[in-house]
Amino acid sequence: MKKMLSVLLIAALCLSVVAGCGKTNGENQDVTVDSEDESASGNTAQEVQEPTNIIIWYETQEAIAQELQKELDKLAPEIIVSVERKDKLTEALKLVGNDPSSAPDMYFFAHDKIGIYAEMGILSPITNFIPASTFDDFIPMTVDAATYKEQIYQLPIYFESLLFMYNKELMQEVPTTTDELLLYMEANTIDGNYGFVEQHSTAYFSVGWIHAYDGFIINDKAQPGLDRQETKDAIKYHKQFVNYMPIDGDYNTMTTLFKEGRAHSTIGGPWLIPDLVENGIDIGIAPMPIVNATSKAISPFAGIQGICVLKEAENKKEAVTKVLEQLSKPDIGINLAKTIGSAPVNNKCYDDDAVKNNEIVMTLKEASATAVPMPNVPEMDVMWAITENLLSSVNKGDKDPVIASDEAQKKALEQIEAMK
Amino acid sequence: MSRRTKLKVKLGLLNLFFVVACSLCLIPILYTLSVSLSGTNNILSGSFSFIPKTFTLDNYKAVLFNEPYLLWLKNTLILVSATVTLSLAVAIPAAYAFSRFRFIGRKTILYILILLNAFPSILSMFAIYRILMPIKLVNSYLGLILIYVGTMAIFGLWNMKGYFDTIPIEIEEAGKIDGANDFQLVTKLILPLAKPSIIVTAVMIIIFVWNEYIFAVTFMTGAQKYTLAAGLYALQATQYTRNWPVFSAASLLTAIPILIIFLMIQRNMVSGLTAGGVKG
Amino acid sequence: MKKRGYKKFIPYIYSLPGLIFIGLMIVFPILYTGYISLTNMNVYHWFDFHIIGFQNYKKALFVLDTGFLAAFGRTIVWTAVNMMLQMIIAFLIASLLNVEGLKLKGVYKTILMFPWAMPGYISILLWRMGMFNTEFGLLNNWLNRLGFSDVHWLNSDHIAFGSSVVVNLWLALPFMIMIIDGALQSIDKTYYESATIEGAGYFVQVRQITLPLLKPIIAPAVIITMFTTFKQFDIIYLLTQQQGSKTGADIHTVITYTYEKAFVTNNYGYSSAISIIIFMILIIFSLAIRGGKKGGDVDE
Repeated sequence: MKKMLSVLLIAALCLSVVAGCGKTNGENQDVTVDSEDESASGNTAQEVQEPTNIIIWYETQEAIAQELQKELDKLAPEIIVSVERKDKLTEALKLVGNDPSSAPDMYFFAHDKIGIYAEMGILSPITNFIPASTFDDFIPMTVDAATYKEQIYQLPIYFESLLFMYNKELMQEVPTTTDELLLYMEANTIDGNYGFVEQHSTAYFSVGWIHAYDGFIINDKAQPGLDRQETKDAIKYHKQFVNYMPIDGDYNTMTTLFKEGRAHSTIGGPWLIPDLVENGIDIGIAPMPIVNATSKAISPFAGIQGICVLKEAENKKEAVTKVLEQLSKPDIGINLAKTIGSAPVNNKCYDDDAVKNNEIVMTLKEASATAVPMPNVPEMDVMWAITENLLSSVNKGDKDPVIASDEAQKKALEQIEAMK
Repeated sequence: MSRRTKLKVKLGLLNLFFVVACSLCLIPILYTLSVSLSGTNNILSGSFSFIPKTFTLDNYKAVLFNEPYLLWLKNTLILVSATVTLSLAVAIPAAYAFSRFRFIGRKTILYILILLNAFPSILSMFAIYRILMPIKLVNSYLGLILIYVGTMAIFGLWNMKGYFDTIPIEIEEAGKIDGANDFQLVTKLILPLAKPSIIVTAVMIIIFVWNEYIFAVTFMTGAQKYTLAAGLYALQATQYTRNWPVFSAASLLTAIPILIIFLMIQRNMVSGLTAGGVKG
Repeated sequence: MKKRGYKKFIPYIYSLPGLIFIGLMIVFPILYTGYISLTNMNVYHWFDFHIIGFQNYKKALFVLDTGFLAAFGRTIVWTAVNMMLQMIIAFLIASLLNVEGLKLKGVYKTILMFPWAMPGYISILLWRMGMFNTEFGLLNNWLNRLGFSDVHWLNSDHIAFGSSVVVNLWLALPFMIMIIDGALQSIDKTYYESATIEGAGYFVQVRQITLPLLKPIIAPAVIITMFTTFKQFDIIYLLTQQQGSKTGADIHTVITYTYEKAFVTNNYGYSSAISIIIFMILIIFSLAIRGGKKGGDVDE
């Protein structure tokens, strides 16, 4: 025991030495955090002689963060941007939002949280830094998404939505309407193989069907729409499709089925594509089927990813402005489209050949005409769980859609009340 | 003759029982192992078999060399050693006090300490942040260590007090007669006797810190500072690009050091947890 | 005379560092939560909140609706079932581990500790994806091979409850086994020897010697485990309620229920009030049980 203890202690000592080197790096980071405030006030006095440090948090794929870092490194040496990973970003911002020593200057995330943070008072409108005319070239839907209570809080960079994907080997004729799709599913769902699969009981996916019926989960006036006739009709109609899908409508099950060729088609995001290609699936992309009853296509949510600025960064106005200007150029959009196949929000990006030839990006661009951005009102936060409970109880529990929707609406109103 | 065979049969059955029990216990682990050794990125597969079709050690290589696993390991070891040392340094005197002395509030405090565990601590984040922020310890190891020590202090105190209770007071009285002062009493007499309990408490603290990710992720920024548990969380957080085999490999690599420590400590854990062989 | 005065303070001095830590990290959050519960801290008043008295508690009482009562009842069943199974199985395994002549004891113990060595949420994820998954999970895989049809492990209330109990046991047994194992070893063997001489059989020995001697030793650990089981959030949530992959089963416990009803509203004043209420309920509960058990064997 003594021997082991001494071994452990020696090991710990050696590691602490190594750690010592590591810690100095960490300390340097802390030092830069402090010098931010100093150089910020020094900024106005001496024209950007001391480099300003900007910290941007992200929680997304490393590839995206790397592109951002590359793009913003162009601003060196006057402005040094460090793009840092922060897990549980949304929770962390709630915690440190107004604390200059722990909060970042900006963060990169989807647009749906800006309502909450705006109400909390930790965001600074983007228009404080760059003129509204910057957005003239942007796809209008994305600017709408970035706007809350008439203020623009986010600089959109790219958006994502869902696509109808099918296995070219298994599906020869792609259904153009949902009735056709249902018939296809009836004919082809046997023996563990499925004509079509999707994450049927998640809000994000089924909302596409609800929108096709002109229903909605919550509108921009923060009124939930779960008990509207349109929503009920959509859920009732959708249930027929669920009968031909596995009951476990979760991401892993659905993608594995499609990956292994046991599902002929699916609705999924562009992030799936690299994985599918690796598995040798001959992927085809088609426009969303149109719902016969309403002649509208399935219109899923769109998520717009972009940069928001925290209020505390207002004392680094020049640096922040430069960062935002750099990111509103088409470059970042084009690079991201090339690396991860995302659809840029800047119309100018679509002049680039690489972007024009990317089938996925162009399909997304077309979809942007009908896609509905996720609601960014704070009240949306409580709707996710309620909607999913509603969908689960109808799709998996066989509850009557009308009764379930009415109950869900009541719960939604209660919880929105409880938020105040 | 019959007695010996009876014993042999009994032991044989016993061993069989444990082999079965251990296998049952290990099924999810073996599954993870299999996924971690497979070459295709599938946690689920229609054609699953325990022996993966495409056997590869690439995932382990990826974890050890591509991901900052070693860095995380180093961070975790630092946190663990510091937390264990500080926790024991704080809990042993307290346990001694509660065990040996009778003072006002003793029973009440002991009871309250247990009741404190009834609090659903989901919201504690804010309160702890309020404490760490003014002393600028939010994004630092020291802050985490303080949190961990506070959390483990109750358990350490109770555990060791229970053990101290079983050490007869006669030993200390004999020591006092021999002229030892309080400090010598504790270090030369009590601690060696309490060794098993200290080791067990230390092991429990190690496991807690090793696996703790909520505080680590909330209060640390930057992948450089992550512990193993936090790093694992980051690995699986990006759901859509999750690389299952790598994640499984990382999970197993996280568990192995603990098991090694545990195996090595086995001998010293005899009668570790509570009362112990201090006879006559 | 001075010495005696000073001696009175020794225990307080010794325990001070420990109590300070506990005070900061455990007691303060409780007090702070209590303070917040009296304010109107929510999305609209995140940093500029002020005290509003007991309004949050009034609101919280509405959460204590039928859903809450159902969840509360279920949580009690959950705790009782888990504790009973844990104690019985752990005692069984620990006793068997301590049989004379078991050479591989160390190996067995180490393997049985495995579930403990990984972060909990990872194990739960693996259970959910790898074992319980309806299409591809290991369990259904085997069932299919044996000719049975798929079981929906997480979709219907009762089966989901059972599955969660299994996962909880898998995660919690190592701790219990260790505790009871240590406690068993501390019992003087001579008691058993004299009992055998007097002709007492195995079960009598267990009842008269082992259990009474075990009780005071393992009591603190058992109580802490009971609270932990009651507060268990991860298992139920990650298995059945996680946003984006709800399974349709409603096996809410008190804490998952309040999470979904209250914590997601980002209304911290309100959520704090509910936390305090749950805390109070638990304390009253444990006081009641302790009173019933006659004799505080806990703090000897």
